[in-house]
Amino acid sequence: MIRIDDLHKSYGATAAVRGLSLAVGPGRICGLIGPDGAGKTTTMRIVCGLLAPDRGTATVLGRDCTREARAIKSRLGYMPQRFSLYPDLTVAENLRFFADLFAVGRQERARREAELMEFSKLGPFRERRAGRLSGGMKQKLALSCTLIHTPEVLVLDEPTTGVDPVSRREFWRILRDLANRGLALLVSTPYLDEADLCDDIVLMHGGRAIARGTPAEVAAGFPRRLLEVRGPGLSAAIALLRETPVAGTDARRYGDRLHVVYTDQDQAAAVRARLAGLAVEVSPVGPGIEDAFVALLEGAS
Amino acid sequence: MGPLASLMRKEFLQLRRDHAMLRLVLVLPIVQLLVLSYALDNDLRNVRVSVLDEDRTPLSRGIADALWESDVFVPGPPLASGDDLARSLKVGRCDLAVRIPAGLARDVAGNRSAAIGVHVDGTNSSTGGRAAGYAEAAIARAATGRDGRVGAVRFFYNPELESRLYMVPGIIVMIATIVSAMLTGMAIVREKELGTLEQVLVTPLGSLQYVAGKSAPYALIALVDLALATGFAAVWFHVPLAGSPLVLLAGVLAYLAVTLSLGLIASVVSDTQQQAMFTVWFFLVFAIMLSGFFFPIENMPPWARVLTWLDPMRFFLAIVRGVLLRGAGFGDLARDLLVLAGMGAASFTGAVLAFRRATS
Repeated sequence: MIRIDDLHKSYGATAAVRGLSLAVGPGRICGLIGPDGAGKTTTMRIVCGLLAPDRGTATVLGRDCTREARAIKSRLGYMPQRFSLYPDLTVAENLRFFADLFAVGRQERARREAELMEFSKLGPFRERRAGRLSGGMKQKLALSCTLIHTPEVLVLDEPTTGVDPVSRREFWRILRDLANRGLALLVSTPYLDEADLCDDIVLMHGGRAIARGTPAEVAAGFPRRLLEVRGPGLSAAIALLRETPVAGTDARRYGDRLHVVYTDQDQAAAVRARLAGLAVEVSPVGPGIEDAFVALLEGAS
Repeated sequence: MGPLASLMRKEFLQLRRDHAMLRLVLVLPIVQLLVLSYALDNDLRNVRVSVLDEDRTPLSRGIADALWESDVFVPGPPLASGDDLARSLKVGRCDLAVRIPAGLARDVAGNRSAAIGVHVDGTNSSTGGRAAGYAEAAIARAATGRDGRVGAVRFFYNPELESRLYMVPGIIVMIATIVSAMLTGMAIVREKELGTLEQVLVTPLGSLQYVAGKSAPYALIALVDLALATGFAAVWFHVPLAGSPLVLLAGVLAYLAVTLSLGLIASVVSDTQQQAMFTVWFFLVFAIMLSGFFFPIENMPPWARVLTWLDPMRFFLAIVRGVLLRGAGFGDLARDLLVLAGMGAASFTGAVLAFRRATS
């Protein structure tokens, strides 16, 4: 339902997108993953018809995003990265305003509003000004406003940035629910742990896709193996491996655990031997998307 | 509700919640009208006249008395000599000094020509010139014992030549201009800063609808302001509404189309509210200065007079003064109304095109 072919876009001398291609089918969540400046927002704005590409095409539901932007608008929902609703209007007024702009009929609007209030749990806050909502509620209201006209395609630019972990999980549950209803979703995120929640991911860097596929496929593309280290002695283990590293291995901390990348069994044995006696648990794990992405990024730059 | 009506409804909702803005828009213009109408009063009053009487005859004393009797002049400090006269003018102890030379009474009696010196502080060219005129007339009257004027002059429409009758409509025009241009000047750029414009742009709302929806609410506010100000001017300052309100309304609508659209254009080309504000101010200063409000257009150099043809305020000012004071009708103001309507159509189109260009 969304199709991008060899897309290019530059701002003056700065190339934002350089030859990106991707496709999102109905019922699928496609994650655009990458650091700031990777070209995610530019790509999304082109898909929404807010920006014209220099080269290449983007189509939504078979229509060109630039030339036929108007025809697409009523079937597409876009949630920009910044909270962009009227802070001085209430939840209900914001919803109604966007319903009117999309020419949603009165009865349809009432039905849709009830439905959206139900799933977003914003019902009790109907009369609250949007500016006084919490971060998570703001994002749910913004999503509700982009859903008011029952679009078939959703484009969400970093919808969970600045949202607490509980709200993030809830938000993703809603997105999955929408996909189950047949919507095609293009979602960008800087959070690597959200990649696993997508059906397909495109890792972007410097305006290009450096990897793509299902999360499992992308992770499997990681060529080396991993040992996971966790436990109360983690800090000591990190210090030890930093002082006297095992040749050919690479240690990286992810929150409460340490990933040690190795290639052959001798290296694994050496790491285990060095950490023996510390209060840590060492176990082999399959590579996560984060390991793959970090390795790919290092390879790319 | 249609998209256009909904956009207007939203603007009103937001304005109603913005109490500070509401006060600014509805109360400040009246305060401005009151203060400025009293402040910008340039009727001649309390001009200090000092007399150097070297003649010392009943005639010379009569001349001095005649000057001081008028409403315009009050006695300044007495002068002892020519040097004293020059010094008094220079340090501002008097605004006007009259030197009556010795032998004046004799010359007048002998029907010989006589010269009375009128020395004026010309720092303020406008009041200085007029004060000299008054003084000359008063002196001639006193010296010859008859009215010095040859023709009988009668002033129409403003018989007392009250400057307030002339100034108040100008102030109303200025307020309407500032309110309308400023409000729309902020209108779009604020949504840019909030990020809401991006959200509106992905809806099927058209450029024309957006620009119309953004200007209509502010047109209404400007109309309310104008009605308040005109009513206030009538009740408080007794500025008449000599002509038809319909002619006035036609002029107002055409003029608001211009100022609201120019404000929107400033808003479209700006990235921040400060930029928009500056752009609008730049336009306002030109519009006010070239409108003939403070400086008569006839006194401007030819190239500047040509420039005034680009100033919508010039035409609106002519309409407002014409309708209020002279009771001018559609026929009398046809040129001004047509030019203004043309400018309104052009700038509204310009605003729609500018918006379309900026967003696609």
